[in-house]
Amino acid sequence: MLEIKDLRTKFNTYDGVVKALDGVNLKIKDGEIFGLVGETGSGKSVTCYSVLRLLPKTGEIVGGSIVLNGEDITNASEKRLREIRGGEIGIIFQDPLSALNPVMTVNEQIGEILVLHQNKEINDLASEKKIPTYNSEKWKASPGVEFTIIALCMSFISLFVMLGQWSFSLPFLFVIASMLFRDYLQKNNSTSALDLLVIDALSRVKLPNPEQIASSYPHELSGGMQQRVMIAMALAGKAKMLIADEPTTALDVTIQAQILQLIKDIQKEENMSVLLITHDLGVVAETCERVAVMYKGKIVEEASVDEIFTNPKNEYTKGLLEAIPKGGKERLKVPNLKEVEGS
Amino acid sequence: MRAILTIKNLRKHFPVKNAWGTDVALVKALDGVDLKIEAGKTFGIVGESGCGKTTLMRTLLRLIEPTSGSVVISEEIIGDKVSSNNLEELTSQELRKFRRQIGVVFQDPMGALNPRMIIKDIVSEPLVIHGKTDNMRNRVIELLNNVGLGEEHLYRYPHEFSGGQRQRIVIARALALDPKILVLDEPTSALDVSVQAQILNLLNDLQKKYNLTYIFISHDLSVIEYMCDRLAVMYLGRVVEEANTEDLFSNPQHPYTKALLSATPSFDKNKEKIMILGDVPSPITYLDESKAKLATEMTEQEKLEIKSIEGKGIEYIVRSSLNEVFPLVRISGEHYARVK
Repeated sequence: MLEIKDLRTKFNTYDGVVKALDGVNLKIKDGEIFGLVGETGSGKSVTCYSVLRLLPKTGEIVGGSIVLNGEDITNASEKRLREIRGGEIGIIFQDPLSALNPVMTVNEQIGEILVLHQNKEINDLASEKKIPTYNSEKWKASPGVEFTIIALCMSFISLFVMLGQWSFSLPFLFVIASMLFRDYLQKNNSTSALDLLVIDALSRVKLPNPEQIASSYPHELSGGMQQRVMIAMALAGKAKMLIADEPTTALDVTIQAQILQLIKDIQKEENMSVLLITHDLGVVAETCERVAVMYKGKIVEEASVDEIFTNPKNEYTKGLLEAIPKGGKERLKVPNLKEVEGS
Repeated sequence: MRAILTIKNLRKHFPVKNAWGTDVALVKALDGVDLKIEAGKTFGIVGESGCGKTTLMRTLLRLIEPTSGSVVISEEIIGDKVSSNNLEELTSQELRKFRRQIGVVFQDPMGALNPRMIIKDIVSEPLVIHGKTDNMRNRVIELLNNVGLGEEHLYRYPHEFSGGQRQRIVIARALALDPKILVLDEPTSALDVSVQAQILNLLNDLQKKYNLTYIFISHDLSVIEYMCDRLAVMYLGRVVEEANTEDLFSNPQHPYTKALLSATPSFDKNKEKIMILGDVPSPITYLDESKAKLATEMTEQEKLEIKSIEGKGIEYIVRSSLNEVFPLVRISGEHYARVK
């Protein structure tokens, strides 16, 4: 599915060049959950940003190749990349609240991805069911905003009436009239094909009451629901590969269990490949089939999950496993690490 | 068993106000908490976000005033020449004396350290405030040595340190006044596992050295299991289970504890999983009759979906939703866990 060969990424900073990735080799097969573990600064996230070429301006890929389904995308054009992001590779970020747009409803945000990657399906559904293709949302602002609009319109009307130019107040009268009669005006609006697909995407991630969630803003949802919306967005483009960058770090354990179960279920249903980036070895043990351990921009060990936990070969992996507190009161062994240094 | 702090029926209700400033609802952050904290041991408090862990900590320090209930302080902390051993009735002088005996370590070390102060000033600030200024420089160096830092760090700023070192500085500052109790509010949740191991070892060493009592707040069950002697599980402002750590981990009683334990990712693939459905219900209770009625009506409607069946000891419920049928365990009012 995805093959990364000898990938090197560096960042140019004022203090010199930081080699964030120093020859990363990865191979993710069709329909497997692959875990990428490492501590802060080991280059896990940079790997996933390099694959999607989402690096900041200071970062650049200096060597290696990225092959997706037999196609080399290392030097793909920006147009092709836009098709890949969301269309072929979906991504879930760590903090759902900052990844979602706070001023757009869930409906608009998922709709955006559907319009970009699933336009044909929307048109097909619209012509099949004979419903409008796009937007048919009813307009409604918060009471405060509506009150302000009406108050402004009234003051303009009275101003123009006082000035004797009553005809200038007609547009403002029209605004007030359309607000008062909007229920009647919008009565015949039926749900559009896009709305139906959004609701479908939301029910795929097992959100209860998807119609209501579609019309709400991200801050109105709880952390777990936000992460489900993020997963719905990543899946909306019918991506065959999912990159999850620390999807459960910001969540509580019980919600984390829900989200991991959801990712596993969806992976099985759609036979997707999942690249799960995390620092929590327990999460890896529960979800992944194969796992790679990263340290200082290199992959130090790659093995199946059972093997890495029962018989770790690399010293760093051993240290990492020993540092996890377990039952019993013996002193924790601290892995002897030098701090990750930039060169 | 010597109780150093006794918490009796502690409640803290935050009012929710509408635009006119009248109370419309109450957030019951703490709703009747009874705890006894032993001297020289580590007491753990676990729970999900929003269950009242931090509110409990803040009421213990009297950073916020509780709505009702009391915290009784033992003589060894505050001495016997006080007007009352109840935290709420202390005079401001006595409160100062009490605060000297409690050190606090917060979750985010960068947020707890002033970025414009050097380490020497940060660590000596409590000494200055409480007037222990003689031989201060040596005292600061001693504190830094205690946590594994040295004299060379005195004149640096917080941003020059790594996350683990910053947390060490916070611990050094908390220990500056020789407290008897150390409150640790998620001290390692911002750190990597290897650094976390260092900090936990350090905390264990310090406890042995100074015979400290720890109140350890965390959501990470593996850390809690490692550190604590006794443990309280909090849920929606209440303590649902309190037991010794070994008992709680080997034989949890409350369904929520069971769900919480099974939700922690582990290396054992065959363990029984209890999934909690949906989110924790809101702790808000409406004062207005009509709104309260609306809330109960919604649960009534949900109850129609739920058919109760007899289970093994605990109440099992089967709910059909999203065309699935699965057994559920009731945790509280409308919050269910799913048994797998």
